[in-house]
Amino acid sequence: MVIRRLKIKNFGKIRDKDMELSPGINVLYGENESGKTTTHTFIRSMFYGVRRLRGKASQNDTYTKYEPWENPAEYGGILWFTSKGKNYRLTRNFYKEKKLGELLCEDDGSLVDAEQGALGTILGNVSEAVYDNTVSVAQLKSVTGKDLVRELQNYMASYQGTGDSSVDMGRAMQMLKMSRKGYLTESARRKKDLEKEKEKISANMEYIRREIRELDEKRDRITQQQNGMNMGTRDKSTEDLLELRIDRVKRRRELNGAFLAVVLLCGIAGTGCLAAFSGQIILSLLAGVATAGVTVAALFFHVRLSRELNKRERQRERWLSRHDELTWNRNSLDSDYEEKYTALSNLQSELQECEENTEVLTPEEMEIQALNMAMDTIEALSGNITEQVGIRLKRRTSEILSEITGGKYREVLMDEELHMSVNTGDRTVSIERLSRGTLEQIYFALRMAAGELFCKEEPFPVILDDVFGMYDEDRLAAALRWLHKENRQVIISTCHKREMEILDKEGIPYQKLFL
Amino acid sequence: MRFIHLADVHLGAVPDRGCPWSKEREEEIWSTFRRVIAGIREDPVDLLFISGDLFHRQPLMRELKEVNYLFSTIPDTRVYLMAGNHDFISRDSFYNTFEWNSNVTFFKSRELTCVKDPRLDVYVYGLSYYDREIKEGLYDKAVPIQEEGIHILLAHGGDEKHIPLSAASLAAAGFDYVALGHIHKPQILIRDQAAFSGALEPIDRNDTGEHGYMEGRLVDGRIRTEFVPFACRSYQQLVMPLHEETTQISLEEAVKSQIFRRGGRNIYRIILQGMRSPDILLIPEKLKSLGNITEVVDESWPAYDLEDLYKRYSGTLIGDYIGYFLAKGRMDTVEKKALYYGLQALLETSSRR
Repeated sequence: MVIRRLKIKNFGKIRDKDMELSPGINVLYGENESGKTTTHTFIRSMFYGVRRLRGKASQNDTYTKYEPWENPAEYGGILWFTSKGKNYRLTRNFYKEKKLGELLCEDDGSLVDAEQGALGTILGNVSEAVYDNTVSVAQLKSVTGKDLVRELQNYMASYQGTGDSSVDMGRAMQMLKMSRKGYLTESARRKKDLEKEKEKISANMEYIRREIRELDEKRDRITQQQNGMNMGTRDKSTEDLLELRIDRVKRRRELNGAFLAVVLLCGIAGTGCLAAFSGQIILSLLAGVATAGVTVAALFFHVRLSRELNKRERQRERWLSRHDELTWNRNSLDSDYEEKYTALSNLQSELQECEENTEVLTPEEMEIQALNMAMDTIEALSGNITEQVGIRLKRRTSEILSEITGGKYREVLMDEELHMSVNTGDRTVSIERLSRGTLEQIYFALRMAAGELFCKEEPFPVILDDVFGMYDEDRLAAALRWLHKENRQVIISTCHKREMEILDKEGIPYQKLFL
Repeated sequence: MRFIHLADVHLGAVPDRGCPWSKEREEEIWSTFRRVIAGIREDPVDLLFISGDLFHRQPLMRELKEVNYLFSTIPDTRVYLMAGNHDFISRDSFYNTFEWNSNVTFFKSRELTCVKDPRLDVYVYGLSYYDREIKEGLYDKAVPIQEEGIHILLAHGGDEKHIPLSAASLAAAGFDYVALGHIHKPQILIRDQAAFSGALEPIDRNDTGEHGYMEGRLVDGRIRTEFVPFACRSYQQLVMPLHEETTQISLEEAVKSQIFRRGGRNIYRIILQGMRSPDILLIPEKLKSLGNITEVVDESWPAYDLEDLYKRYSGTLIGDYIGYFLAKGRMDTVEKKALYYGLQALLETSSRR
């Protein structure tokens, strides 16, 4: 692609400026603050429009920065260019009230809206980002050697990994990792909380289990006691046995009573008879005494039996109340047991539900998944880019560097840690040890190589913005000779006359553009 | 005739385990039930229907005694209750042997049974769950008996695994009111004829919205019902719309004032929606400390114009990255989040603005 002519109507501080460009080398000369950067921005804005931001950010956006103070309605201009053998005229007005973008194909007279995709197609799908990375080349920003080395290495690494020198993949990945770490902590905390809840339930269950075991022991003890109290045989219960014993004593007492009654009856009758009929007083007295003796003995016996009966009855009473107590205890233990058992199985289902809950994807886990996917995708896509351009970029950079240094440095190398060095043919030198001038040369070679690789369809012009400031005369001559040899459109913008003097001296044709 | 219909009290449930309010909620479920009974004591209704899941799990004997005691304090009200899928009558259930107060009718049978109210011409129908799940439509063939009076069906379930039923056909079969339980969200299926009273208190974070019971009365031979909000707090969704000017602090302030306005006792799920400024990194987790907040769901997106960015960055990693996700067509949530996470990281750390 070749830019043929610029007509800046009203853009920033430039008004009504018309410039014819040559398809080879152009030198845009002007004092500081004369509008060189404005011209670059104009070209860029012609192709991609002026970026406008919303809200507060609009105070510093490109639109506001270059909006002319006078006649803002004529904010814009015309650009003539040739692409793939066809001539175009691109007219734009950036003014927000009168926005216009018009692309005319001068060969067939067709007119399209520049905002639509047609311009993109003509630009060979060189996107704005690619343009920034390849077309416009500014000086390295760093001042000190160390920063310069870092900047250069970043450039190279970014080109290789992302195709965009402004992207810092390392920092982006770092940022994603930091976010992930936050969510991982949160997720771990949630898991721990849940674990704690589960432990609480388990502890509760253990407690109830212990209570149940204690109840079991108590129950066993009662069973033992009940068994111990059981004096019965297989066909007679203890209660019946006790009853039987009481009955036996009762019967003996009754028998004794009956015996007493018979003895008394017989004794009194005998004594009476003897006294009445035999007249033997002594015999009668004897019988009386015998009756009284037997009676006393029987009475004594009766008292003893009654006492025994009492004892037996008390024994039965005691047994029965003890038995009732044990039975009651056992029943209350049984209902306690059932209560605990229900509580235990309730906790069991609670624990189970807790576990089912852990299978659901938590919000944090979702964020972590997304962050992982982002990191994996960035790495994979970056790998693709490295594969596609990495080696070619290195090779082409090495070629250009070799040419502009007269073969002094043959190869640019970059290791896994993104550390750069150059090969002089017989040894490799770490770039920390190179002079600023050489570093600028490597940078130049890198930018030129990138321009070729990323503008795939056709070469784009290269705009070199004050990049030769640190070059000595030999280096500058070598670079200019290389640019001439490459046969590309170049716009060298400078505030020095040095470039023009050397071009004149080398006999390289160029177009002068004065601001 | 006046009645109260409630369901899904879930006594014994421990809502939101692990959250600071969990213990308090467990107690509130009991205290709200007590408040219902206390209310009836003050202003007695004739009938109290409890359509299942009075307990969250198998009731303990002590819990049954507590509930029975509460019922004994409203002797003028006849209580009709059934076991639902949560407190189903298991083999060892205390429901099997429990002796209820004389004013309580517990539908112990697994088959639909009809009980006539001792004082009114009201016939109440019900059954109990004997399992966690019942897939048969046990209410499908339910028909009220041929007697003059009001016929009320207590039914629990309504979804595929818990006695699927059709309220319309039950109403058509001749039931004057179908007092439904199981679905926690209160909903009137047929005006004055069939309704889920909903859970008395919300049981977990998914039970958003109002909760309470249904109150009914007989007006000119027709039943009229209305929902009475009664729960002591609610779960609410707090949708916070973000825009490009939203910052962490402005968002926190907005959440705070919303919570203040809607009630600090309520429990919230915050959902962030809308487009936020890409330059601002929000920390949604920090919102959690502003009240009773179960979770913060971030559904907001950085305000990126993807098509425009894709065009601008095509041929570089950022362009490839956007293209990779756009090529997927419909993205799921994780993919969409991944796209924005990666894009934001790449753009934020880029030296070009």
